[in-house]
Amino acid sequence: MADSKIIKSKYFFEEDFTEELAEVSANKYADWNKKELKVVGKPVSRADGYDKVSGSAVFTFDVILPNMAHAKTLRCPHPHAKIKSINTKKAEKIPGVLGILTFENAPKISWYGKSFLFDPHLRYEGDEVAFVAAENERIAEQALKVIEVDYEILPFVTDAAEAMKKDAPKLYANGNIRGGKPSIYERGNIDRGFEEASVVVEQTYKTQVEIHNPTEPHCSVVNWDGDYLTIWDSTQGVFSVRDRVADVLKLPASRVRVIKKYMGGGFGAKLEAGKYTVMAALLARKIGRPVRIALDRKEMNLSVGNRPDSVQKLKGGATKDGRLTALYHYSYGAAGAHPAGAGCSWPLRTMYLCPNVKTEEYTVYINAGRARPFRAPGHVQGFFALEALIDELAEKIGMDPLKFRIKNLTDRDQVFDAPYTSKLLLEAYRVAAEAIGWKNRPQPAGSDAGPVKRGIGMSSQIWWGGGGPPAYATLKLNRDGSVRVIAGSQDLGTGTYTILAQVASEVLEIPMEKIEVLLGDTAVAPYCGSSGGSTTAPSVSPAVRDAAEQMKAKLLSGAAAHLNVSEAQLVYRNGVIQTKGKNKKRMTIREIARKMGERVLVTTGKREANPNGYAINSFGVQFAEVEVDTETGKVNVKKIVAAYDIGRVLNPKTLENQIHGGIIQGLGFALFEERIIDRNTGKVLTTNLHDYKLPTVKDTPQIDIRIVSKGDSKISNTGVKGVGEPAMIPTPAAIGNAVYNAIGKRIKSLPITPDKVLTALQS
Amino acid sequence: MRYFDYIQPENIKQAGESASHGWRKALLYAGGTDLLGLIKNEVESPAALINLKAIPGLNGIEYSEREGLTIGALVKLSQLSAHEAVRERYSVLEQALKETASPQLRNMGTIGGNLCQRPRCWYFRGDFHCLRKGGDICYAVDGENKYHCVVGGGPCFIVHPSDPAVALLALDAWVTIASAKGTKRVALKDFFVLPEDDIYRENILQPGEIVTHIHVPPLSEKTVSGYIKFRERGAWDFAVVSVAATLRINGNTIIDGKAAFGGVAPKPWQEEKINQRLKGLSVKTENFELLSAEVLKEAEPLNQNAFKLPLVRNLLKRLLVQLTAS
Repeated sequence: MADSKIIKSKYFFEEDFTEELAEVSANKYADWNKKELKVVGKPVSRADGYDKVSGSAVFTFDVILPNMAHAKTLRCPHPHAKIKSINTKKAEKIPGVLGILTFENAPKISWYGKSFLFDPHLRYEGDEVAFVAAENERIAEQALKVIEVDYEILPFVTDAAEAMKKDAPKLYANGNIRGGKPSIYERGNIDRGFEEASVVVEQTYKTQVEIHNPTEPHCSVVNWDGDYLTIWDSTQGVFSVRDRVADVLKLPASRVRVIKKYMGGGFGAKLEAGKYTVMAALLARKIGRPVRIALDRKEMNLSVGNRPDSVQKLKGGATKDGRLTALYHYSYGAAGAHPAGAGCSWPLRTMYLCPNVKTEEYTVYINAGRARPFRAPGHVQGFFALEALIDELAEKIGMDPLKFRIKNLTDRDQVFDAPYTSKLLLEAYRVAAEAIGWKNRPQPAGSDAGPVKRGIGMSSQIWWGGGGPPAYATLKLNRDGSVRVIAGSQDLGTGTYTILAQVASEVLEIPMEKIEVLLGDTAVAPYCGSSGGSTTAPSVSPAVRDAAEQMKAKLLSGAAAHLNVSEAQLVYRNGVIQTKGKNKKRMTIREIARKMGERVLVTTGKREANPNGYAINSFGVQFAEVEVDTETGKVNVKKIVAAYDIGRVLNPKTLENQIHGGIIQGLGFALFEERIIDRNTGKVLTTNLHDYKLPTVKDTPQIDIRIVSKGDSKISNTGVKGVGEPAMIPTPAAIGNAVYNAIGKRIKSLPITPDKVLTALQS
Repeated sequence: MRYFDYIQPENIKQAGESASHGWRKALLYAGGTDLLGLIKNEVESPAALINLKAIPGLNGIEYSEREGLTIGALVKLSQLSAHEAVRERYSVLEQALKETASPQLRNMGTIGGNLCQRPRCWYFRGDFHCLRKGGDICYAVDGENKYHCVVGGGPCFIVHPSDPAVALLALDAWVTIASAKGTKRVALKDFFVLPEDDIYRENILQPGEIVTHIHVPPLSEKTVSGYIKFRERGAWDFAVVSVAATLRINGNTIIDGKAAFGGVAPKPWQEEKINQRLKGLSVKTENFELLSAEVLKEAEPLNQNAFKLPLVRNLLKRLLVQLTAS
């Protein structure tokens, strides 16, 4: 039955490749035939739907424990300062204040590499100065106001280009460029490539800092029971939080339990343990009470992550007949005050066939909140630049931009020189181009008559998102034939609860109502990775299938024992186990499950290894139709057609949710969202949801989704590729190209706001 | 947030008395959609909050063909925009009301409070001790000033955030102001204050003075009016620029008209020269273009907001074309 081995597993997760030892399943199961599936691939309604629409869903933010104290954080109001002295005496005297932590009384815990949990060197507006617990939030806030801090104000830098200069204020002793040098990738010879080119385009594109701003703020509730710490956390990775907290508090992992049930979004900002969680744990232990810490919207906009900005200087060469000969990418981006990645050259390395490529990326420290992975790190900004360059090259050689892209497709990953397990991008192009009416786009650009001009633009998309081991799921059969699936993964609001139940239901032929999925609990669930990199469904769903198939084998075995026949005589079909041939003996699945109930062992399924020698990537394309009002500069996105190769669709409803969300978030990045820092004071101006403009329902276009893939059996037993990040990647680039098609002027920096459009039109 | 006294007067006299003890010490609380945020964010730290909601007589809307429209200051924006007379006769006001904020805010926010709301400048609202808050510099002048004013500014460069105020200005509205001492009547164009006259307030109200009613004169049969609000996103956004106009038209000629502009100045803005030129103007797109080109001639944009000039001119032209189309 269960067969497994330990391997070295390597796959792409958010900003880089992970490599870890993993126990993988060696069980082989027949590839699912879409036509025969009864639950998987069907538009099953969300398991969490009722709880969420009725308001009964308990998010981490809502967790209330008896005797719970409430915490608030004092944050540095300056972009760069040092604490000369700090006095908390007045605050301690306020009735209801229970405890205060500062760098003077907290343990010196290393954080962000060269910094500390409480660091008297404050490197950005929002850096943590003190942490107060009180009977309620209001008292904690009052306490913050009377903590006396004497700051030594230091010179600051909040712009990456400025920070790279030799005489810029330094955040770290060895300078503001992370690692002291750029990260370089090279293949072929770009000088030769540009010599071969008949046209060359050189352009600079810029993208802004984007803030995650999930609906549910970052928050934790912590409780000590003796030496046992339980943390309810709004997190994308319960095990990642457990490990970090256990490490810094020097606790055995077995004494730290991290729980997360429902969550109001993360988008990459919640992939690691927050300082606030550890501070709350320290203070909770000190005051002997549970502590809740929830960040407010201002803190969300200052302190818990962002998509780094980028300045991308691109140079591309092509032959007259549309073959790319060379691509060069030079970029820098602001990581914020602490280590983070700001690279964005992957799209240029991987998207199109090109033998000669060089990329040179600088990640720069500035006095602002730290960057974190944000829904397709590097790709959203990288594609905005790359796809603009591709359009400009196509225009220069007089070729249809879609044809130009088709001409430069590749069926191999050029960085690792491996074939893709599957790539149906050409089909996605065909379907989407037809749906948007690509042929009818204004030609030449800007030729649509009238003050409101229509335009169509496109962008391709590549992402990893194949997931991989380790990922485990435990399956328990209950006495009444109902099933519990337990996995250490998490549902960010994406539908993990629903899709995992579908997989178990499909295999065991037990109805959805009888399957409960438990996620996000390190004390009871087997390990799964964090939910990021579009890896949750592709990593965890095969483990659930493995667990369910093992349970199915046990049910067959149990039926054989009960019916006194050999297993080989039995078939498991349509909810019934019966003998082959005449004189049928039969039992329903429900009957055998009830018979066996808890008297059989649980099964644990494991994600199998990814295939050797292959690259696993998702592919897709979005076409945007926009109207640009040339009298106001306003861009209205009318329609987005999104076509994807993302392997098997487990649930079209949750898939559509994810794609809608990605497109709307991409639209926000393209047109509205931007963290703005006051150049003179280094302070952030966009600290609320009025000044930081997220898109509204009125800005949402018509969205047309086409899935061209059926499943990729080379990847796993469920054949899934993740869609969370692919959904957002091409949107800003497609909108940018559509705006160019509408007005004949290219806006080379995001967001494409009315002032930029009006200024471009007047030039 | 600091502690404050909560006072619930039963009439205007009591309210006026309670509010008359010092500058910004007692704040008037109507819908609270702006005020409560100001207090929570400590832009305002009043010693007392005076709830006006128990005062009778401030909740009504009256209309007669002779007197026009009389609106109680506590009338909610959504209530006003749904009123028959507003819908039938004062399109510019109806449109401005419906473009304001979000449905939730319009259900809470009052018309009096809307006129008296404080500016949205991100320095004023943020953690900056700016001129308007008693500091000694305006951070916007050399800072991030894309949304700031292009005319009427200095030494502070806010824009007035109200949509209905712009519409009411184009309608020649006036307000009744009451205090413990009595009442007075002030034209809306004289109600708002530029920073050069007073840096700390946006209108003429003294401590203890309360706007009780807004009056809109009747419009003749041949009057058309409209409002265009330009904002960056589709909803829940203040105007980058807005334009209101009322035009009395006879055949192919504008007998007279008024235009007013939002998002360009520290107060709802109008230009007498433009209103004069509307008189007798024949309805022609070219005329509207020429006229619009004259708007905000005295503007002195800051380094990031020059785009507001073509924007306001294009919008005025568009509104005039729309209003004269039928």
